[in-house]
Amino acid sequence: MSRTDSIASDIACFATAFVFAAGLLVLALKLWDVQVDGSAGYNYESSRQSERRVQTGGGRGCIFDRNGELLAGNRTAFSIVCNAACHQRRTWDGTVDAMWGAVSEVYQAIGREPSIDKEAIRRHIRRSPSMPIVVWRDIDYVTLAKFSEKEGEFPGFSCSESEERVYPNGSLAAHLLGYVGRDRGESEAGDEKFNFFMPEMRGRAGIEIYYDSFLRGVPGEKRLLVDARGFAISEWTVAEAKRGPDLTLAIDLNIQKAAERELEGQKGACVVIDPRNGDVLALASAPSFDPNLFVPVLSQSLYDRYAKDPAKPLLNRASGGAYAPGSTFKPVTALAGLSLGVPADALYDCDGSYSIGGMKIRCASQWGHGPMDMRHALMKSCNPYFCHIGTEVGTNELFNAAVAFGLGSKTGLDLGVDMAGVVPDSEWKMRTYRQPWYPGDLAQMSIGQGMLLVSPLQMARVAGAIGTGRLVVPRLKAGMPVESTPLPFAKSQLDVVRSGMRLVVTGDASGRGTGWRAGEGVPVAVCGKTGTAEIGMGEMRRKNAWFIAYAPEKNPVVALAIVVENAEGGGITAAPRAAAVLRAVFGEEER
Amino acid sequence: MRRFNWIVFIAMLVLVAVGTVAIQSAGNARAEAVFHGMWIANLSTALVGIFLYFIIAFTDYRKYLDIAAWPMYGAALVMLVAVLLLGSTVYGGRRWLWFFQPSEVSKLCVIVLLASLLGREDTRIAALKTTFRGFLLFGALLGVPCLLILAEPDLGTTLTLVPASLLMMFVARVWRKGLVTLAAATAILSVAILGAVYEAEKPDTPPEKRAAILKWLPLREHQIKRVRVFLFPDEDLMGSGYNLRQAKISIGSGGFSGKGIGNGESNHLKYLPQAISMNDFIFCVYAEETGYVGSLCLLALFAALLLPCCWIAFRTHDGRGRLIALGVPTLIFAHVYINIAMSIGLVPITGLPLPFISSGRTFLVIVICGLGLVQSVSVHRD
Repeated sequence: MSRTDSIASDIACFATAFVFAAGLLVLALKLWDVQVDGSAGYNYESSRQSERRVQTGGGRGCIFDRNGELLAGNRTAFSIVCNAACHQRRTWDGTVDAMWGAVSEVYQAIGREPSIDKEAIRRHIRRSPSMPIVVWRDIDYVTLAKFSEKEGEFPGFSCSESEERVYPNGSLAAHLLGYVGRDRGESEAGDEKFNFFMPEMRGRAGIEIYYDSFLRGVPGEKRLLVDARGFAISEWTVAEAKRGPDLTLAIDLNIQKAAERELEGQKGACVVIDPRNGDVLALASAPSFDPNLFVPVLSQSLYDRYAKDPAKPLLNRASGGAYAPGSTFKPVTALAGLSLGVPADALYDCDGSYSIGGMKIRCASQWGHGPMDMRHALMKSCNPYFCHIGTEVGTNELFNAAVAFGLGSKTGLDLGVDMAGVVPDSEWKMRTYRQPWYPGDLAQMSIGQGMLLVSPLQMARVAGAIGTGRLVVPRLKAGMPVESTPLPFAKSQLDVVRSGMRLVVTGDASGRGTGWRAGEGVPVAVCGKTGTAEIGMGEMRRKNAWFIAYAPEKNPVVALAIVVENAEGGGITAAPRAAAVLRAVFGEEER
Repeated sequence: MRRFNWIVFIAMLVLVAVGTVAIQSAGNARAEAVFHGMWIANLSTALVGIFLYFIIAFTDYRKYLDIAAWPMYGAALVMLVAVLLLGSTVYGGRRWLWFFQPSEVSKLCVIVLLASLLGREDTRIAALKTTFRGFLLFGALLGVPCLLILAEPDLGTTLTLVPASLLMMFVARVWRKGLVTLAAATAILSVAILGAVYEAEKPDTPPEKRAAILKWLPLREHQIKRVRVFLFPDEDLMGSGYNLRQAKISIGSGGFSGKGIGNGESNHLKYLPQAISMNDFIFCVYAEETGYVGSLCLLALFAALLLPCCWIAFRTHDGRGRLIALGVPTLIFAHVYINIAMSIGLVPITGLPLPFISSGRTFLVIVICGLGLVQSVSVHRD
């Protein structure tokens, strides 16, 4: 090598070293960008692709009656679940086949058919491979024992506990309690906070839906670490779910039982409230259903059976039924009259019918009651008397009196089912039927017929309001603040109606009251009013039997309304049933 | 032993150890059990390599280099032809002949031949090499194996062998006008290709224009895709951009201090493409688990390996020794730079291993033997 050659390549040695050093330095600087400056961003991307957030439901609170009797509780249900990650294969189909094969093996060992089919597994793996799939839902103890014995032999399968709603009293108070269903929840905020939701119990009807968020508790959060194909590798809890608080209702299970017993085999409803504070002591509707059959899922066939049943067992007649009140409305007409100065003692001569505008309204007494005052008109439930009063006071006054008793609007009950009903006037009739208001309409309304529609709950309130002078807002949850408004009637006016309603039960020298059976065996003084509402014409004609009452006469503590559809009459059908319910409240009279 | 360069040797041993750990971690994440023990195979291969290293290092290369150069080169050409005819296809390339990859072997053979020819004191060669004819001759000696390797296809090997060989020619004063022109032409061509792909792939290019541009480019379908990912890294993240994105997430989420050895999530959860997590993308596994600290240590190790080689080149008075001591580290440097740079989006993705860290036994033996030759240069200097 020549001298110049060697000098040139000496420089080349250092130049090469410089290039190496520079190259490595560039890498070091760029790596600083990625690994130190950009680390937070890449960490976020990493966790976004490999973490799944799961919302876990808390346990549901129980429901008790006012005496601490359990109305709705939970039982532990055991299921066998399968974690798809343990049966991962190269292809989706392979994974489905592997899982189904494993399911068949477990099937052979425990001898119980899986709750799902292969197609369900395929759908599950496509949609949420990171979540365990429930293969056997709600297994019995024998199956559980068989599985537990061999659990180690089945990789990926494990036993999982969940809570199922149970209603220990079966169909009792079903309309009021409602039922729950299992549900994939939705995010409260509607954002992307969670990827998955554990199915949890959601209220579907009744108290269960009205107080759903109260009972449900606070959901927790679980995170899953998933691999590139979405199968869960591990999981950890971020926030524990909190069990929902228990709910105590104002309901008294004994009174509820009595009310339902009296409605057995009938269509109808019975409502018992405490008129002092609005506590609903019983809210019965018949026919009923067993909410346990609705948990965890209501089968289509069962739903169809209930939905197509002409007796409408799912309808809550107590607060959602719309009935003509019949003669139970007469106390309201009486008060409207009194407030307009109709003297209580003025006699009206009943001749068996009342004619107005070419319409003839018959009285229960074919030949007429003869001359009578307001108290006796209530006692005998005289139609012409109240048609006369109603015609005297006019539509507006009668309308106002009905509205003062809370008719025509929702009661404010803490339940989704709260029927407002209808208190008609000329404007309403024109709007609804495009017909003018005839004098006959007013006469009909005065005796609770025609277009007037009320719910049994509203009528129980009316009875209670007459007894106490205040109209209360009914409430199912115990301990809520009392809301009530005074009636716009003087005590002297109310006293007239009260004594009339007392005569309905006791009768006097002139004879029995229409509701005499309502006092039988009840140890306190009962005031009430019968009603027999006529529905339909000709062949379709039916009678709904009513009885409304409050007791004791002085300082009443209960008010009730009972209606029985397609019955003989208020005095015969409803009054004795009311007596039975009142005996459940006050005890049997000692003879 | 006085002249034995301990720095290069120890750096190499540490790199082998680091590679063993990285391969073990990457292999454990694979579902197939065969990869779980891959680190053992790799380590035993390294031990065989180190045995050869000592034989080569303590043999005077000056006596055997000129004798061995042509036969080695000839054998390499035969193997490169054989692999095209008989080789087994893996991942779309014909690279394997029985248990080894001829393209890796040929890297060392080309370097040895160039060192032997350009470095010997031979007036005929000295006269020839500075001429255009010399440029053509040495260009052909490099070009023939390169074309055979490109035919496999194995772009990565070519991309590392060419710079190493050109540097050797440049140092040996092969017709420099030609070399500079070639380098400039390569640079211009690269920029032109990048520009053309950018023009074709940018969002507002009409499809017929795109097709016309791509038809004229001397690139294969998958190469165009890689250039596109390089230019537009945020597009098609679940398709062609997936690998680069996962590589970056993996490296970036390692943070400053890493997630701990064996705890790399991208790797264990299989987000990192499994087929190449042990080979071309092993730096991602390593960087995620050891963080920036680990990356920096690795770069320092490579610096400790490469820079002393330049010192050895400087200290030797033998032209062949100098060319070997510059050619071998340049080959290694090209691998290190391109491999790491592609995982962080500095250069388009190209399949080539990271020396010592990737699992690839032919390449490992070749690199260790090459370093043995460099050590021999150090030991046998006057």
